[in-house]
Amino acid sequence: MDVSFRKIDIDQYDEDALLVTELYEADPRDPAQALNDVKQKAAAVRSSLAKGDIVAALMLVLEDAPYGPHLDDAKVASLCANLHLQTLVSILNSTKSSEIPGVVKALSTDAQDTLMKYLYKGMALPGWGDVSGSVLLGWHEKLTEVAGTGCIVRAMTDRRLV
Amino acid sequence: MAPPEVFSLSQQTPVTCHAFNADRTQLAVSLNSSDVLIYAREGNDWKHIDTLSEHDKPVTSIDWAPQSNRIVTSAQDRNAYVWQQTPDPQTGHTVWKPTLVLLRINRAATYVRWSPNEDKFAVASGARAIAICSFDPEGDWWVSRLLKKPIRSTVLSVDWHPNNVLLAAGGVDMKARVFSAYIKDVDKRPGPSVWGEKLPFNTICGEYASPAGGWVHDVAFSPSGDVLAFASHDSSISVVYPGGPAVHVIKLSILPLVTLAWTTEESIVAAGHDCQPLVFAGNQGGWEIIGSLDDPHANKASGGSRSGFGGASPVGRLNSAAFNTFRNAAERGISNVPGSPTASSSNESELFTIHQNTITSVRPYDGVPGNVTRVSTSGVDGKLVVWDVNAVTPIGATGLAGKLGKMQLR
Amino acid sequence: MSNVLRPYLSAVRSTLTAALTLEDFSSQVVERHNKPEVEVGASKEVLLNPLIISRNENERVLIEPSINSIRLSIKIKQADEIERILCHKFTRFMMQRAESFIVLRRKPVKGYDISFLITNHQTDTMLKHKIVDFIIQFMEEVDKEISEMKLSLNARARVVAESYLAAFNV
Repeated sequence: MDVSFRKIDIDQYDEDALLVTELYEADPRDPAQALNDVKQKAAAVRSSLAKGDIVAALMLVLEDAPYGPHLDDAKVASLCANLHLQTLVSILNSTKSSEIPGVVKALSTDAQDTLMKYLYKGMALPGWGDVSGSVLLGWHEKLTEVAGTGCIVRAMTDRRLV
Repeated sequence: MAPPEVFSLSQQTPVTCHAFNADRTQLAVSLNSSDVLIYAREGNDWKHIDTLSEHDKPVTSIDWAPQSNRIVTSAQDRNAYVWQQTPDPQTGHTVWKPTLVLLRINRAATYVRWSPNEDKFAVASGARAIAICSFDPEGDWWVSRLLKKPIRSTVLSVDWHPNNVLLAAGGVDMKARVFSAYIKDVDKRPGPSVWGEKLPFNTICGEYASPAGGWVHDVAFSPSGDVLAFASHDSSISVVYPGGPAVHVIKLSILPLVTLAWTTEESIVAAGHDCQPLVFAGNQGGWEIIGSLDDPHANKASGGSRSGFGGASPVGRLNSAAFNTFRNAAERGISNVPGSPTASSSNESELFTIHQNTITSVRPYDGVPGNVTRVSTSGVDGKLVVWDVNAVTPIGATGLAGKLGKMQLR
Repeated sequence: MSNVLRPYLSAVRSTLTAALTLEDFSSQVVERHNKPEVEVGASKEVLLNPLIISRNENERVLIEPSINSIRLSIKIKQADEIERILCHKFTRFMMQRAESFIVLRRKPVKGYDISFLITNHQTDTMLKHKIVDFIIQFMEEVDKEISEMKLSLNARARVVAESYLAAFNV
């Protein structure tokens, strides 16, 4: 007897079921434009870092961060997200550990939430680029002290993945 | 400031939901089972007097209509029952008699609430629908009409507008919505409100997404019905002024809140996974957290002697702590495994809050809508607590993160 | 506890605390069922973003939260072949006795060495912070345990080798 029909996922034909793509609103920018934004920000961040203004640099990165997989152009989107992460990590790496609490406190709640998402993303990619686990863990600890567990909960619930 | 009254209804089973009768002398609860237990107040304690068994899966929600003295229950077995006190034909005693409701849903019923006039009730369900039930005198049963569109997932909670027509619902699809549940034979045509003017059945009067993609755990209309508040799983509370149009979002630094109740037009009590009821206040201009009804530090200092009466006397608490320690050691098989910790390595087995686990329900206890003076909470730890809403321990917005953060990360 | 390990464990602790915000949830796909949604995975909206906490490439923790259950998987440090064998034997020993640990899963998630499944029934009956303590302590001790076993294994090998070679040392 042919039992292959048992492997058909009949739930996919349920019209009422929510799809992953319907769980959040997609990034309004198209991938190419987002990539452009990210490149411009990277340059601006470098100049902020040169001045030693870490808070300003972080604010710049965490505002309007690109999010979500672009279904039509996944390659550019992931390139864009990775580039953005790299920019962020360069800021994190160049911050002295004693300065972290002050920097974190200066951020807005939204920026703290976004930073938390990036920290988890960075940790999910060990050995990628110049991401170092201990730096991210240090930031994670300080950020949790300031922003609380609520911030972590939002990193879990928010489907707008960075 | 009156101290909160604490009652331990069970040692280890959660109180799924609770509902008081009109004069607060009786209490209906479900202890995470398919039975509904009725307790009567006896002095300073609650005595079990009756058990309502008809469901065959865990009961999810109970509501007790204050005027008509009817209880409605919903459960994961997809059914809802309306219970009415009638004299038993044989013995003459008054007993609770169930009436099955034709819900026409094929998944668990998750939440149930009587409408303000007590002629309808709404049953939220996992069948991506809300059943609005009204009584059909001809058939002598409760019939339902379903609110379906545009619900895409399990509905977790509902709340009635004071005009008996509008219904707010929140669910796993991360949206809080306001529907019209107008039923021609039951309702008078409602007057225009901030939510709209013409309101045929299933009109959507408002749809609000949670700020960071969290499930909407609880929704509530303000006493006037002009404002909607909802608590979502992204640790936030949103207050919606539809006339505004303004949505005030308070993002919290603590674990998510799962239940909320309006005490006045400008204040809300909300509680959840942080085991203590928090008080929020505000108006159209903005909202903020002003404090907690529980004071973890005072509890710590006095070692539980602050507790009210009933099962939560200091001795009772001590027993429960020791009991928990042994139970946990046993349940986790801690002692006989290499590489696993021993129970003695951390000596903190109790939280400093009165509730020892998630608070799942907060409801008005004393006062009229718009001026509630006391609220009752029940939680997973089997406790029922009655709080004075004016006994607020203030915590600044910044202090909260540190304070609760430490408590959590201890 | 060493200083390097501390931020790692505290990150796991805070993430786990945040994830253990579970509630009863009856399946919306199958009638009258109540299953850990993280294992079923049929309704996307009740699953949350999985989070990874890593110290380095070889040591990481994956936390997959959902509305009524979370799955936590640990990749234990394995520096060489002996540690790999010991780790495998050790986790296998425990997973075969999973029912006496309650929160332990019988099979690890792919790419990890050991997995825990915590459902709302467990957070209902046990104290939440004690479950967190249990996981953290497990992580603390497992490294120690494996390196101890490695030492005693090496010591035994030495004794065996000595007594074997003694036969030729006339």
